[in-house]
Amino acid sequence: MDRRLFMQVAGTGALAAGSIACPRFFRKAEAAPVIPAGIPTTCELCPNKCSVIAELRNGLIHKLNPNPENPKSRGMLCARGNAAIQQVYDPDRLKQPLIRAGARGEGKWRPVSWEEAWDYTARKLSEVKEKHGPQGTLWSSTEGFQEVFFKNLGMAFGSPNILRHPSLCLASVNLAYSMTFGTVPSFDLLNADFVIMAGANRFESIITPDTMDLIGGVMERKAKFIYLDPRFTVTASKADEWHPIRPGTDLAFILAMIHVILKEERQDKAFLEAFTLGYEQLAEHVKPYTPEWAELETGIAAKDIVRIARAFADSAPRAVFYAGRRSSWYTNDFQMRRAQAILNAVVGNWDRQGGMVPNQKVPKGEFMFLPWDDPKAPRVDEVEKNFPLASAKDGVYLPLRENVLKGQPYPVKAWMVYKQDPLHSVPDQGRTLKMIEQMDFVGVIDIAMSDTAWFADVVFPESHYLERTDPIEVLPGIWPAAVLRQQVAKPIHDTKPCLEIVQGLAKRLGLNDFFDYTIEQWVEAEARELPIANGLEHIKKHGVVAFSEPKYGATRNPVNRFVTKSGKIELFSERLQEAGHDPLPKYTPPAAVPEGRFRMVLGRKATITHAGLTHLPWLHEHHKENDVWLNPEPAARLGIRTGDLVEVASQVGRVRLKARVTEEIRPDCIFMLHGFGKKSPWLKRVHGVGAADAVLLETAWDKVSGNAAMHETFVKVAKV
Amino acid sequence: MDPFPAFRRRFRKEAQMKLTKLAVIALLGLALPLSAEEKGSDTKGKFYFKKSCKTCHVKGGSALELTPLSKTQAQWRKVFDAGRHGKAGEGFSPKFGTPEQIRDIKTFLINHASDSPQPETCGG
Ligand code: SF4
Repeated sequence: MDRRLFMQVAGTGALAAGSIACPRFFRKAEAAPVIPAGIPTTCELCPNKCSVIAELRNGLIHKLNPNPENPKSRGMLCARGNAAIQQVYDPDRLKQPLIRAGARGEGKWRPVSWEEAWDYTARKLSEVKEKHGPQGTLWSSTEGFQEVFFKNLGMAFGSPNILRHPSLCLASVNLAYSMTFGTVPSFDLLNADFVIMAGANRFESIITPDTMDLIGGVMERKAKFIYLDPRFTVTASKADEWHPIRPGTDLAFILAMIHVILKEERQDKAFLEAFTLGYEQLAEHVKPYTPEWAELETGIAAKDIVRIARAFADSAPRAVFYAGRRSSWYTNDFQMRRAQAILNAVVGNWDRQGGMVPNQKVPKGEFMFLPWDDPKAPRVDEVEKNFPLASAKDGVYLPLRENVLKGQPYPVKAWMVYKQDPLHSVPDQGRTLKMIEQMDFVGVIDIAMSDTAWFADVVFPESHYLERTDPIEVLPGIWPAAVLRQQVAKPIHDTKPCLEIVQGLAKRLGLNDFFDYTIEQWVEAEARELPIANGLEHIKKHGVVAFSEPKYGATRNPVNRFVTKSGKIELFSERLQEAGHDPLPKYTPPAAVPEGRFRMVLGRKATITHAGLTHLPWLHEHHKENDVWLNPEPAARLGIRTGDLVEVASQVGRVRLKARVTEEIRPDCIFMLHGFGKKSPWLKRVHGVGAADAVLLETAWDKVSGNAAMHETFVKVAKV
Repeated sequence: MDPFPAFRRRFRKEAQMKLTKLAVIALLGLALPLSAEEKGSDTKGKFYFKKSCKTCHVKGGSALELTPLSKTQAQWRKVFDAGRHGKAGEGFSPKFGTPEQIRDIKTFLINHASDSPQPETCGG
């Protein structure tokens, strides 16, 4: 890592705040930002990890302000980030450990001491281990700074079944870009002149710095912005062109773009020659994928595809086909993302300003904890056998659930869950409930009584992020940063950080040696290698250590070895071929929408990205109930008007909610927001209000990555 | 304050356990070429790599910075099988770890090499 870059921004002693302030990224002249007074920490309400400064009054958290020192968050704290205060002071949050007193889901709880909760859980886990081996336990979690402790407990216990969130989110995009470039790059929207986004509703599902760079970069500079989506989203409303593409045909659009670019010789020949493998095969492969053919698949006119392809190639290297984040759409999702990666490679935008840039990282130290033995049993999701290219560390959620339900290849009878609500984040709620039913034990660690917690046997209340200190996290990117989440206020209830919850269990499971440290020791070890003098002191004072200047072009060097099998950027992938997959992305049309049904598509809103946020008052105020979007044409046929109660039914479930008749969706699709129709009465604003998308979603996954395919469900809609 | 209490304790234990074996190896002056077929522990290999190798093989350290991505699988195999370690190719003497630990390191590096199916890269 280039220390000079860092020193340019860090200076010594007090950080030269003006020099790293975020408005400097944008064109508009603005005064140097004032760094608000308070305690710097890091937001936990979504994976962006924005830097926050918490203002306290009389010991209470009064307000959260953005910390302009973090270039990634661009001086922004979104509505969700602000609402974090309401999680802390939520009268219905989890306040002490609970053990189930009635039947699962009946809602009868016995408040217990931490000792009793730990003893009970350790006994249950040991019983399962005794009967089924450590592999009989499942440890699932979503990303978070303390997730490492939870996963480590599962691994130290001897379970191979550590299950992380990517296969419900971005596994296919990560795998596709890794298989092509050997890494997952960022997209330099601040400097791009031509941006294509397909379904990545970046104005509403906020990703930092991309959302802000769309506003401060793409829009401010009047760069060309093309958007493809079956829905007219806020992003569509801000784009130069919106194409309501036929769902599931993005791959046809991309292949036709590559066809045009290669046919008209608009590719970056020198780049392809120097850095890529498989150009000849690609050129042959895309020959049949003409714009005229793609028009029939996508519904986008051939002349528009040609025009967009030309303009895209001519704007390169400052042109990007944006990857998106939640890529759990179709069963061919990996191949579609691979085609995006190849399209970007063809115009040579790799590692160029305004193009696609490999991430930099801020170095940090590591706390050395004891290693445990590798698990003896294979994973229950059989990821190595069925998804050999997927991340074996993260696992594949839906195939895992199916195997657990079948008891194959062995029984799994205990499920520990951290910071995740699988009843909402995993498609087909009915089957997830069945999985819970067949468990001998379910334990949940969370801050609120989620629906999954509601069906658990033991609930451990975690301290809120504003009440605890977490490990230092590195945020890789074009503007990388290392951030600290530190305690702002003392816990107001009898809650504990995940590490202490894990330590209580470890002690009782005979695993104490693996967790014999404090969070302070952990953070201190990490801070020791931050590229700044007095790293610990600095990061405690500022909340962040960051680089201000991007570094372009380091990998455009003939001696650079890309982290792929061949060492080149792989347009053609031998490894895919060996694994029995298409080495170049081959188009297969999506399943046709059956007569009288609609394809269900999902999406997010700036206030609602995660299921756990809908009950927070400030966010709830913006959206009190979800409804189902329906185009006026089918609505008229079905006699449905806005506000009517309708029943939406898939093959696995049915729900009732209100209809919203709108031109803003294609006639063959319906849409509903996530995070409503809660079963837990503790989430009272959304308990039984609206409907849960997870009830309707059917089980389907991408063939290569195992990522859930959440746009493969067809539903019927009828007026009640 | 000692930041690594458990770590040190465990190493003391392990060191004692391995003492006899190490003494024998040291006495015979054996380097430790390891066959490519040996299968060690990935998890432990990561730990020993950081603990042992990273004391020198870091940016600004006394030896070239190394991560699993620094070499291909074949290159890592060569390093270990031919005992190509150190300026004079003297191999892995016991000060770098027990034979089991070296095997674990080798397993970790090969499993996550630059051309491996699961390279150590940043994810999401
Ligand atoms: S985008 Fe919003 S919710 Fe996400 S980390 Fe930033 S402030 Fe928090």
